[in-house]
Amino acid sequence: MAINYNKEQDKLKTGKVEQRMVYESGNEMAAYAAHQINYHVMGYFPITPSTEVAQFLDAMKARGEHDIKLIPADGEHGSAGICYGASVGGGRVFNATSSNGFLYMLEQLPVQSGTRFPMVLNLVNRSVSGPLDIHGDHSDLYYALNTGWPILLARDPQAVYDMNIMAIKLAEDAEVRLPVIVAFDGFFTSHQKRRVQTIAERKDVHDFIGPVPKGYVNALDRDNPVTIGPYMNEPDYINNCYQQSMAMYRAEKVFERIASEYAELTGRHYPLLDLHRMEDAEVAVFLLNSAAEITKDVVDRLREKGIKAGSISPNMIRPFPQKQIAEALKNVKAVVVGDRADSYGGYGGNMVNEVKAALQTYGNGDTMVISRIYGLGGKDFYADDAEHFFQLALDAVEKGYVEKPFDYWGHNPGDPDKAPKRILEPLKKEELNTGLIKVNKDEETGKLKVKIPPLRALTKKPKRIAPGHGACPGCGIFPGLELFFKGIEGDIVALFQTGCAMVVTTGYPYSAHKTTYIHNLFQNGSATLSGLVEMFYERKRRGELDEYGLGDDFTFVMITGDGGMDIGMGPAIGTALRNHKMIILEYDNEGYMNTGSQLSYSTPLGHMTSTSNVGKYQGGKPFHHKDTPQIMAATNIPYVFTGTEAFPQDLLKKAAKAQWYAQNEGLVYGKILITCPLNWKSKEELGQDIVGAAVNSCFFPLYEVEHGITNITYDPEEKNKRIDVKDWLSLMGKTKHLTTPEYEESLKMFADEVERRWRKLKAKHEHPDL
Amino acid sequence: MSILTKTNELGFYEIRLESIGGLGANLAGKMLAEAGVVEAGLNGVSFSSYGSEKKGSPVKAHIRFTEPDHEIRDTSPVERPHVVGVFHEALFKTVDVTNGIYPDSIVLVNTSKTPDEIKEKLQLQGGTVAVVDAINIALEEKTRVNTAMLGALFRVIDFLHPDAMRDVIRKTFEKKYPHLLEANLRTFDRGYEEVEMKSYQVPEGAEGKPFTRHIPDLGYDTQAMGGTITNPGNSILKDLSGSRVGVIPSFHQDKCINCAACDTACPDFCFVWEEGEDKKGRPQMFLQGIDYQYCKGCLKCVHACPVEALTAERETEGYAEDHRVPHRFRLAMNT
Repeated sequence: MAINYNKEQDKLKTGKVEQRMVYESGNEMAAYAAHQINYHVMGYFPITPSTEVAQFLDAMKARGEHDIKLIPADGEHGSAGICYGASVGGGRVFNATSSNGFLYMLEQLPVQSGTRFPMVLNLVNRSVSGPLDIHGDHSDLYYALNTGWPILLARDPQAVYDMNIMAIKLAEDAEVRLPVIVAFDGFFTSHQKRRVQTIAERKDVHDFIGPVPKGYVNALDRDNPVTIGPYMNEPDYINNCYQQSMAMYRAEKVFERIASEYAELTGRHYPLLDLHRMEDAEVAVFLLNSAAEITKDVVDRLREKGIKAGSISPNMIRPFPQKQIAEALKNVKAVVVGDRADSYGGYGGNMVNEVKAALQTYGNGDTMVISRIYGLGGKDFYADDAEHFFQLALDAVEKGYVEKPFDYWGHNPGDPDKAPKRILEPLKKEELNTGLIKVNKDEETGKLKVKIPPLRALTKKPKRIAPGHGACPGCGIFPGLELFFKGIEGDIVALFQTGCAMVVTTGYPYSAHKTTYIHNLFQNGSATLSGLVEMFYERKRRGELDEYGLGDDFTFVMITGDGGMDIGMGPAIGTALRNHKMIILEYDNEGYMNTGSQLSYSTPLGHMTSTSNVGKYQGGKPFHHKDTPQIMAATNIPYVFTGTEAFPQDLLKKAAKAQWYAQNEGLVYGKILITCPLNWKSKEELGQDIVGAAVNSCFFPLYEVEHGITNITYDPEEKNKRIDVKDWLSLMGKTKHLTTPEYEESLKMFADEVERRWRKLKAKHEHPDL
Repeated sequence: MSILTKTNELGFYEIRLESIGGLGANLAGKMLAEAGVVEAGLNGVSFSSYGSEKKGSPVKAHIRFTEPDHEIRDTSPVERPHVVGVFHEALFKTVDVTNGIYPDSIVLVNTSKTPDEIKEKLQLQGGTVAVVDAINIALEEKTRVNTAMLGALFRVIDFLHPDAMRDVIRKTFEKKYPHLLEANLRTFDRGYEEVEMKSYQVPEGAEGKPFTRHIPDLGYDTQAMGGTITNPGNSILKDLSGSRVGVIPSFHQDKCINCAACDTACPDFCFVWEEGEDKKGRPQMFLQGIDYQYCKGCLKCVHACPVEALTAERETEGYAEDHRVPHRFRLAMNT
């Protein structure tokens, strides 16, 4: 939204081009800059907190505001591959990611820099962690330090915009030719709205960055065939590295040149270091990004008290402005370097050790350096934290030495009286083995016979998940999971991949899982559980589990969302091909709901999500939904099924069969369709009706594939219950548009695809050989 | 000449909104800040607390205003607000909504209670209490609570002009949802008009409530290694009743046929069963009632019930406490 008051307009006249003030967040500004640059391609995969960048670009695309080809990848590794492939094609490429997503693409980054293809990646900093933390620190950023990408930092939304405009120019410069990272703090910068001055006309942006430079190799020039990425060992490889190293160091001067051109253009200048009152400072604090801003306020207050304090924060950390830092600190008596990520065992994070190296290199043995790890996992940084840092420096100056060179700041020991104690008794075996569910193999036919009691009788069986979880009202995940678990007798061990069900049940220090639960990142749950399964059988074989008196075997269940089956498809197929004795249960809510409703491959055609917006130039998701059960069936595992809460007896039976196969033969895959009222924009109380309608419209047929033989377990046509897909779609806000005349064509395409898949399934049902 | 009527020592006027996910406090905060920055020409910043908390979980929105030429560097949450806007009264139970207020801060609450009752309930020393029945306005106008709260906020924050917000509402709805425009403008105006304010003398020497920063119970000496939770199932200690927004299922045992359709539908495992004997003396499960501590009011159970043993009711104060049938968990310790 443009700001149109006079006073601010005057300020905008400091540059040469017309500017426009907006009030937006860091993510919005990254997207805004990208849309002005009008990149050719963005390959992306959603991850908090950078997700919004793709969302904003998709919304702008639906309004026809740019032509960037937005490609939703199957994971960050895929997104980095898309970006690399696009960049070897000679056009402009953009991406945004965070945290574990960044690490998942990590191996691609040295490929991109080492083969010298420019692009711009926005790294919205967030913790990389074991227990999952989605808030901001610099642990992902520190992994970027050795990738060979120049790294620009942006302390606020204004800098996010400015750095993004400069980054592409830096990347494409003849002296550099490297991909560039723009890094800013997750949430603090990505989600806080500020006033930002932007270049009003796209033409002025383009005049500044210039056209895509010519004369470099690309894969689309048929007259100049090239071999990109040869097999190169010693003695040649070191020379490639040296070239790259030289280019990296040249990036410093090039950036300075671009920054002064940009200053002339806009009135905003970014030197290599952002120095606040450092001219005569005796004590200083060195921090990266948003925390450095708060520190400036504290510097001003200390100066009022007569303390010669200063703040130092780099705008670029690759290449590291070693000389400038040494120069800025040469008269400083003590400096506290705060690292928002640890380099465990390194006696300080990466920044403090690089600052120390800078001082040593330039012969400064006098400035005392104090290292503190702070603000991990999004822990807020307050003015009083900065005051504490200055106090540490002042103490050192007074004493003449540093009492504690390295420590953490902001951690707490905890109250011994409140140490965790077991709240619930473990579930009793006899309660979990109700004897009410019976699965027997008919020796003649080889088929399983299943007997299940009425639902009423199963209310006696304890639920595996406790109440008190934090899911949205009306969430379909938990009725779906518990119904499935009800069909399983005895003990389970569950692994949940990252997703809604994991996040809302295990918010520390609470857990809603009464039985043992494991989390792993959502590309790797099936592999992880297959490791546990094999450990179980191996330890059992060696007699090491005898002391636990287990009796029956565990039933191992891997729980995933449809997102986890996108990014984790490879490991899931690997697990299926190895045929481990376990169950993969997918709850499908047709999108990445945990991160704010982005499209998944299971999102049906035309459905609206935050990365498949509906507008004049775009009508929801552009391609058809993935048929995961058929993909898994093609791996020839013993049992595949679909189910929903709307047909409880059907799902219970399938759960019982799933357990039998997982304990006797090998891998089971099942998909349950569950409602997400929040992102389906549907009424909370209608959850069962909606998934029921999905079944009756034949969009989500209930069936099983047992030893390769397909059996439709509920045929809406036979029961005279078949409805039009339109009747199902009209129940949800995300698909309302599809029921209007304007979208008649999309609706028909979708209905035809549903019909085609249904007929194919029926043919399989009728012919055991199909 | 400043339009900010008061500021803290750093020159900021600070606002904190206390809400649960789904009531639109985040959006209200954004719109409020936008009106201050874009329309009134102040400098400002706005943000919300983020987690993976879902709809129904407590959230906060923070807004800071300052003079147009004053630089904003602070990214930390608002600890000492000049105005607190409480979007959901049930939060009083689980969140210290007035944490850090000044003696003369304004506390605006979405409630049907009087300012005197709210002052008593929140044990305020003085300052201004403002009340508005935003739920009722939203129900009557078929709009959302946040628009009514915005109306009230524009009244209590005296340097912002409501016309600015009306323009924002117009721009928001005109194109995409023209049929909702009038109702939303009315909702905003009603919030603005119907808010009732009462100021109380600040007792001499009152300092307000110093802000207490949350320090977790567990720490590096007491957390299990690796972040493992060694007392799982402890989510039963949580109270989720604050997620309900006005409606609640009501159980009528006399009509219940114990079919368990509700139990299958319930996302929050609220139904409490007990074994008894049926008419023929055989053991059978019987539904006892609802543990409202965990009920988020989605009403799936009411919809699933094939008879009329579950009905949707407007929740009145004390109903849930009086009618709760607590789960009988097998506890390992006294809680």
